[in-house]
Amino acid sequence: MLEALLQGLLAVLQVKAFSFMLLGILVGFWVGLLPGLGGATTLALMLPFIYNMQPVEAFAFLLGMHSVVATTGDITSVLFGVPGEATTAAIILDGYSMTKKGQAGRALGAALTSSLIGALIGAAALALAVPIVRPLVLTFGSPELFMLAVVGLAFIASLSAQGVRGMVRGFIAGGTGLYLAMVGQDPQAGVARFTFDTLYLAQGIDLVPVLVGLFAIPEIIELVVRGSSIAGTTKPGRIEGALEGVKDVFRNGWLTIRCSLIGTFVGIMPGMGGAVAQWMAYGHATQSARTPEEREGFGNGDVRGVLGPGAACNSKEGGALIPTIAFGVPGSTSMAILLGGFFLLGLVPGPEMLTTHLSVTFSMVWTIVLANVITVALCFLLLNRLARLTTLPGHLLIPVILVLVFIGSYTTNSSYADLVVTLISGAVGYLMVRAGYPRAPLVLGLVLGKIAENYLYISVARYDAAWLLRPFVLVLLAVALGVVLYPFFQLWRARNRARA
Amino acid sequence: MHSRSSLALSLAVMVVSGAGTIAALDWPLKAKLFPMVIGIPLFCLAAAEVAWILLSKAPEEKAAEGEVPPLVARRRSLLGVGWILGLLASVVLLGFPIAVPLFVFLYLKLQGREGWIFSAVFTAAVWGAFYGLFDSLLHLPFPTGWLVAWLGFS
Amino acid sequence: MNWKPGLLVLALLPLSAWAQPQPYAGKTVTIIVGYKPGGGYDAMARLLARHLPKHIPGKPTVIVQNMPGGNSIIAANYLYSSAKPDGLTLGTFNRNLPIAQLTAVQGVKFDMRKFAWIGSAANETTVLTIRSDLPYKNFDELRKAKQPVVIGSTGPGANTYDFPLLLKDLLGVNLKIVSGYSSSADIMLAVERKEVDGRAGSISSLRPFVERKLVRPVVRARSHDVDPAIKDLPVDESIAPNPRAKAIMALRSAPELIARPYVMPPNTPPELLKVMREAFVAAIKDPAALAEATKAKLDLEYTPGEEAMKVLDEVLNQPKDIVAEFSKYVKFGE
Repeated sequence: MLEALLQGLLAVLQVKAFSFMLLGILVGFWVGLLPGLGGATTLALMLPFIYNMQPVEAFAFLLGMHSVVATTGDITSVLFGVPGEATTAAIILDGYSMTKKGQAGRALGAALTSSLIGALIGAAALALAVPIVRPLVLTFGSPELFMLAVVGLAFIASLSAQGVRGMVRGFIAGGTGLYLAMVGQDPQAGVARFTFDTLYLAQGIDLVPVLVGLFAIPEIIELVVRGSSIAGTTKPGRIEGALEGVKDVFRNGWLTIRCSLIGTFVGIMPGMGGAVAQWMAYGHATQSARTPEEREGFGNGDVRGVLGPGAACNSKEGGALIPTIAFGVPGSTSMAILLGGFFLLGLVPGPEMLTTHLSVTFSMVWTIVLANVITVALCFLLLNRLARLTTLPGHLLIPVILVLVFIGSYTTNSSYADLVVTLISGAVGYLMVRAGYPRAPLVLGLVLGKIAENYLYISVARYDAAWLLRPFVLVLLAVALGVVLYPFFQLWRARNRARA
Repeated sequence: MHSRSSLALSLAVMVVSGAGTIAALDWPLKAKLFPMVIGIPLFCLAAAEVAWILLSKAPEEKAAEGEVPPLVARRRSLLGVGWILGLLASVVLLGFPIAVPLFVFLYLKLQGREGWIFSAVFTAAVWGAFYGLFDSLLHLPFPTGWLVAWLGFS
Repeated sequence: MNWKPGLLVLALLPLSAWAQPQPYAGKTVTIIVGYKPGGGYDAMARLLARHLPKHIPGKPTVIVQNMPGGNSIIAANYLYSSAKPDGLTLGTFNRNLPIAQLTAVQGVKFDMRKFAWIGSAANETTVLTIRSDLPYKNFDELRKAKQPVVIGSTGPGANTYDFPLLLKDLLGVNLKIVSGYSSSADIMLAVERKEVDGRAGSISSLRPFVERKLVRPVVRARSHDVDPAIKDLPVDESIAPNPRAKAIMALRSAPELIARPYVMPPNTPPELLKVMREAFVAAIKDPAALAEATKAKLDLEYTPGEEAMKVLDEVLNQPKDIVAEFSKYVKFGE
């Protein structure tokens, strides 16, 4: 294995492969940055260009592009409050708040560093998991995946404000998200649920238009109201601010590592989708608040709310490669397209990728590592200029952001209906912000609703009730209970401390 | 936290979950299980929130907007909403390729009070980037606006 | 011999080429795909987009535009009413749309027969496969199974669901269909996990798993040009117990004869349709295209537009009672 590891590295460092990787990074940089371009769509468009490349070169290009998207997507989310990618929305809550307080440099520094660490951990997981990957993925069946979705939903409790009232509001948001997930044709009876007989809703509500409306539109309106630049009256942090952000990541080292592991784990699980990991990591980050005041600080610019999702977002990419390479089961749309690339190059995902073609697998690992290192270094160099954008007058940025929001939403399905969805979500998001409802649970519900329902039905159909007693199912159930009860535990502990 | 917004949201959730649950009653079991298991508690939670708001009559918090007084804030919010709806309308009526530069230019001129030359140059830059990226490179389909089609220009 | 007339003709030949209309020179042809990028229909369209230009006189640029939504009903509606019949727009969509039209699915605003049919770029054959380590080696043994055999599927409307359903309800095979998997790849994973015992699907998507000996095909649907590996399998329709069951199964599998449909908007001038059809024939025979298709695990075979029309007639002229019976089993979906 060590030999394959070395071979993989050497393969990536060859001039041709390396230059393709750099090209991929360049493309991915812009794809992640601009809300209108989706990582998955662009991957699909790039596929034809790799026909005549060698496997290592082709993957250097595709993966170079893909690995970078999550990192630069964070930049747009932090600086402008607009999700650059569907997978980088969670970071807006605290990242953009920090920017509004003039701490853009610090937020970016934390986001970039945590992204790097997350990517490294995800890549390491991919490398280390090679021997155990098949038994690991095979043990996690539909019952376990259902329970994992339940754990994800349990984070709604963490993402809610504290106290009973806060919980009620959080669960209303979460329940609404779950309810929205029910729209569409159900896979059991084929009934068209809540579609109002429209074609658009027959396939369900897409995440991107909702996400973009829920988060970007309220921020745009707020920007109009404030009439100033995004950073307000304070000067955005310069490079010193960024270093502060880097230090933050190491100060919360264990949290960063835990969030990276959450991201990797969720990434490995096939069928969970790409958007879940960041919210679970964010929920976990909020659990590290030690007092109710600290807990209130989340959503208003706590750096832990930046580094958690930042790390998870990148680590899940390494994790998602595992089922793609080892089983040919893509964990997300972009992985599905990468899989297409596999076939084009004559590689068959499956056991051979972990044995005969191990060095190709490792070259992918190295690509992820190198691409992320290079991107983060590049971003740090550009940090000042990027952060300075937030001092531009708001009225210059608003039209551009709004146009990108509209395009980003429209290009999901090439349908005007998506724009309507975005505006309605925008209205809802605006009201939620004013009413003090957390938006994160809504997204979590929307993302996990169908997954939970489908896997529950499969589990029951296949195992009747016996699946409840499977060992991992019980473990995950305990975890879910723990996650739900943790906020109450936090409250109780804080009260004890206050009394002492 | 503004209780009027919360009231609006909770009432909306009650309506949606209530109507949804009633609609679901007719469906076969497998199709209606989840919607009902989620919908009914959702309805109850929303109802509880509504009751809470109506019964507590807490004083409406003074908006701690910071620098912006509430009346100005409201006017600007409505303005912002207006611009957004305007962009939607122009996209539908005129199509993206026309709506984008028009919107950018008008926003800079009217809302931003920028000069003619600056607005024109900025608009040209944005339009060029938009066209180059989304149209020439990615060939994304942008249908012609209804108005334009009706006038026979497509 | 008198040379002069011959010389005259020779001299005028280049003029004739110049005089021949080159309607596609310098133009851009758009292929509208009713799905998002990354799926089979999209991949096929992009493959064709790369190889069609050299076979169309005038060598136009060919680009692909995605118009997903409503399981490609939206794209079909657009091609039917909004796209201009100027020969510059083609479209491909869900092969089951004729069924959608037949069963009057909400939102259908087209008549499949009125499109200008180029043809189909591939055929499909649906097979049912079961895990190799199960004791049933062929369809007869499967039919005698005492324990239900669990088949994973994505949901109604997909062939992963409909094909086994008809086998179960019309032929009485002891199958238990578990649906809700997010993709057919997930189902294969479930097969490896022994969570399900098999999956139905197109042979092109199942081939790698059959070759890997993970699963074994046991029964198939009718099709043109059958893959030799499954040629000898029993065909579901042939074992149908009565004409009604046979008609229903035939109806389900009919669209697979036009597995990758390509059309132009209604009222496209016949000359342009002819040019496009010829281009398709040439492109699909092109060795470069075939090589790429093999690499991408796509099957490439041309079925002419006239054949496609015949299949459509068969589908859309079904008697009402068959349609009613059919709708009870098969819903339009993916």
